[in-house]
Amino acid sequence: MSVTDREAGPSTAVEAPGRILVPFGQGRIRGLDADELGAHGAAMDRLVALGLPVVPGLTVPAGTSASLCDPGTAEAAVDLVEQLAGRRIGDRARPLLLRLSASAPTEIAGLPPDLACLGVTTASMDALCAVIGRADALHEVWAATVRMIAEYALDVPAAMLDDAVLDAPEPRTRIEALLDLTARHGSRPFPDDPAQQLALAARAVLRRWDSPRARRSRKAQRLPADLGVALHVQALRIGPADRSGYGTAVSRHPETGLLSPQGSFFRGVRRSSPPPHTSEPLDRLTGGRALLEHALLTLERHLHAPVSVDFEVRDDEISLLAASAQQRPPLRASVCLAADLARDGALDPEEAVLRIGPAQVQELLHPQLRLTGGEELLVKGLAASPGAAAGVIVLSSERALEVGADGTPVVLVAHETTPADVPGMLASAAVLTGSGGIASHAAVVARGAGRPAVCGADGLRVDRAAGTVSFGDRVLREGDAVSLDGRTGAVYAGRLSVSVAAPPPELSTLLDWADGMRRLGVRANADSAAEVSTAVALGAEGVGLCRTEHQFLGERLPLIRRVLLAADPAARDEALKALEHAQHEDFRALLAAVGNRPVTVRLLDAPLHEFLPAPGDASDAGEEQRAAALREANPMLGLRGVRLALLHERLYPAQAEALFAAWADVAATGVRPELEVMIPLVSLPEELAATAVYVREAAAAVAARTGVVVPYRLGTMIETPRAALLAGELAEHAEFFSFGTNDLTQLTYGFSRDDVERQVLAGYQERGLLTASPFARLDPHGVGALIALAAERARGVRPGIKLGVCGEHGGDPESIAFCDGLGLDYVSCSPHRVPVARMAAAHSTPRERHDESGSTR
Amino acid sequence: MHSPAVDLPDAPDETLTEAVVDLVLRGMWRGRTEAEYRPLAEAGLAMVKGPLVLPTERAKAAAGQVLRVAPGSPREERITAAYEAFLPVNRKIREVCTAWQCRPDGTANDHSDSVYDAGVRESLEDVHEAIQPVLRRLEQVLEGSGRYLGELEEALERFDEGEAKWLASPLCDSYHTVWMRLHQELLLVLGISRAEDEAREEELVTGSRD
Repeated sequence: MSVTDREAGPSTAVEAPGRILVPFGQGRIRGLDADELGAHGAAMDRLVALGLPVVPGLTVPAGTSASLCDPGTAEAAVDLVEQLAGRRIGDRARPLLLRLSASAPTEIAGLPPDLACLGVTTASMDALCAVIGRADALHEVWAATVRMIAEYALDVPAAMLDDAVLDAPEPRTRIEALLDLTARHGSRPFPDDPAQQLALAARAVLRRWDSPRARRSRKAQRLPADLGVALHVQALRIGPADRSGYGTAVSRHPETGLLSPQGSFFRGVRRSSPPPHTSEPLDRLTGGRALLEHALLTLERHLHAPVSVDFEVRDDEISLLAASAQQRPPLRASVCLAADLARDGALDPEEAVLRIGPAQVQELLHPQLRLTGGEELLVKGLAASPGAAAGVIVLSSERALEVGADGTPVVLVAHETTPADVPGMLASAAVLTGSGGIASHAAVVARGAGRPAVCGADGLRVDRAAGTVSFGDRVLREGDAVSLDGRTGAVYAGRLSVSVAAPPPELSTLLDWADGMRRLGVRANADSAAEVSTAVALGAEGVGLCRTEHQFLGERLPLIRRVLLAADPAARDEALKALEHAQHEDFRALLAAVGNRPVTVRLLDAPLHEFLPAPGDASDAGEEQRAAALREANPMLGLRGVRLALLHERLYPAQAEALFAAWADVAATGVRPELEVMIPLVSLPEELAATAVYVREAAAAVAARTGVVVPYRLGTMIETPRAALLAGELAEHAEFFSFGTNDLTQLTYGFSRDDVERQVLAGYQERGLLTASPFARLDPHGVGALIALAAERARGVRPGIKLGVCGEHGGDPESIAFCDGLGLDYVSCSPHRVPVARMAAAHSTPRERHDESGSTR
Repeated sequence: MHSPAVDLPDAPDETLTEAVVDLVLRGMWRGRTEAEYRPLAEAGLAMVKGPLVLPTERAKAAAGQVLRVAPGSPREERITAAYEAFLPVNRKIREVCTAWQCRPDGTANDHSDSVYDAGVRESLEDVHEAIQPVLRRLEQVLEGSGRYLGELEEALERFDEGEAKWLASPLCDSYHTVWMRLHQELLLVLGISRAEDEAREEELVTGSRD
């Protein structure tokens, strides 16, 4: 039953060698599929069918692979490969060796290593090296082959082999030591005959496939324990190093995604892990790269995926050793290919859009430093850990912990890192080192801790004693600010802001197609003209939520404070005038940026405490007293939104007049934003009715003053469960609803977000009580049911009522699909999520419930 | 930069010496009791930063003195041989950790691809197979170094139980954390600087190939 039993005795397998030895390209004709041929055999069949040149070789199908352990079958295999290659093993002028590999029905990990050169003997080794033209070209590869055969087929104890390898670091002596050890301790000496070597190699590969470590690997991949492998015997044609070698290439550039073969090329005998620093770029290929490009393009069109190939160069000619769709192609490559295939008509645009998920869009829009061109580039190192960050320089763990203690972002700069730097790295926003590569300890630790890092920055010198870092001639001190991008390796002086990248052009193309597929509108939450411009550039159709309270913070805070804390009505009116003036300016800039798009302006909805001075900070005793009287135990549930407006009756009229007057100004320039005025935190229809009067009167006042009748819709936010339940009554006064799902979630669950996020949600998710935070993913059963009910009741009263969602959920793909399912008109999310929302809305349209992970419950 | 003359307190007590060496090799202590770190802090060998205890420069120099073997001795020669066998594997473990954290295109590994992860696990097995004979030899010439194999195996076991952080997280005694400690001990024992170490690794990795 075991592999070894087959070796003894003449085999019956040779009787039908045609079924056992299948030349590349002939598997399908013989009725064999990937289960029998292995992924590699099937791929070689495909390459032959596409007319691409392949390295000659054959497959021993999985069902009969053990028969290759039989010397007779091995002999037949050697003969056949010699015929296919047109060369003979042992020929001094045009030598041939064999390479044995295994493959499973699909691409998996944990296959035995390839045995890279069979057919070598101690006597022939020097002659082979002479043909290649490099003295020790073969030694290390052959040593690895001998070692594996000795351990797995000839039963030499592994510990002895380990010792021999450690004692003989030089490959040539290592081979002699291994052969000697095998002669003394093996079940038989290492043979010279190629067929016998091949038979033993097959046995070693299959035994290795049977070893505990290979079994553990199958288990980890949930593969059957008794999964069979096909064996492949490939010709390894030896030639001079200046015209021969091997390499790998992928079809697309990883950064740009454009069709452009990328890869490397090595001279000498092929091995699975080529030595570092010996690769050469593809344009050094002596025979040119035209054939390689042709092969990659042909394969891409055939497989509809970015592809990778392994190739051999023999006397300047390329032939393929392996080819497959790239397992996990770079995102840019997938996006570019989807766009390319659709433009060429190989795919429908819809199919192309559906190949790129919302999460991938998010990943393409990763955070990066906002560059304006005037930055001072200090150095460019290796991109070692993704992400962008800015902070002040610290030169030791000690300083990192001290300076970082109050939340100041710090960047740990070191020439090299030792374990003593780890605490500093953990306390830092980012890490910069002068030495080491992307696999340095510093890089491994930085990624392990999720910190952006740039490593191996040439010319960086750290002087801890002086507290300085120099980049060439430029000297910075501990405490100076730097910014770095762990994706590009760039390090800049000063503190740059970090923002989201703009979509690359091919993604814009796909998003344009996505826009044509979706029903659901996508708007953005934007409070200032700058945010509106960003959102529009990212494809927002309008503004779904403009929070006017942001206009009251910063330098405007004293104004609103005077309104709230005024000692008498005269002082209050004066403060209101100033406020109205300031807001008028803000609204004018905002509306100009919005253009002819819809914009929902929410009248003031901040909890009162945000505007009150801290205790003891009021300007006089009277104000202190009035502020104390206004302080609340639970401001989020207190005097907020419409409630504040009904108490301070001039507040909303002043805001609305500023807004309408700004619209009139902007309209004079030919721009007509579709204005929607929204009343927040309503729970009684009467609240809405009363404040609607304020807005109508403000519009009338502006019309009287300017002669412009401003078109607008009046609506309300649905943030309280009561508002959702009374949606029918509210719809009598409202022309639109916007579901504020953040507050609606808090109030439906009775969660205080800040508190539960710290104390409750993580524990709930760990225990499986919740699969996702309801603040990140709209709860379809509770909050979602309220939205569904409100939509139904509102439409019953006012069939065409406009319905949208403006919570953070508007940027979450699953929540977006849910809103689309309810037939809402739009979602509104933060500007940088707009592309994600556009893609998510397009994916939710063909309502085929392609459930990604079943995580909604 | 040569190390300043450092003296441990007059009666170099064994526990204190062990503690300094441990703190320097680990780079930091987290969650230790005051009784453990106070003697070090009082001797000027440790500083306390919030929940962390860090070694001082003095401690680093002291640990270097304690660990350093006699230059030119046969023992140094044998440890050097083990160190040189360690270096090429040292390159591989960092590549394995890198592959676990990042896909070849540089994007973060989200561990949704079990084939990829199993491939990384295979190379980790190669590393683990390669380091064992090295550690067996080291144990014969460097007292106490046998513990590293046990610690590496424990990290590997935890990793195989599904806790990914046991490969490369700096916050636990992960495979990489233990490895860094072993590396640091070798450097101090042999008095080799990080720069020399890097150069020697590069030479061994590239020089041993064709």
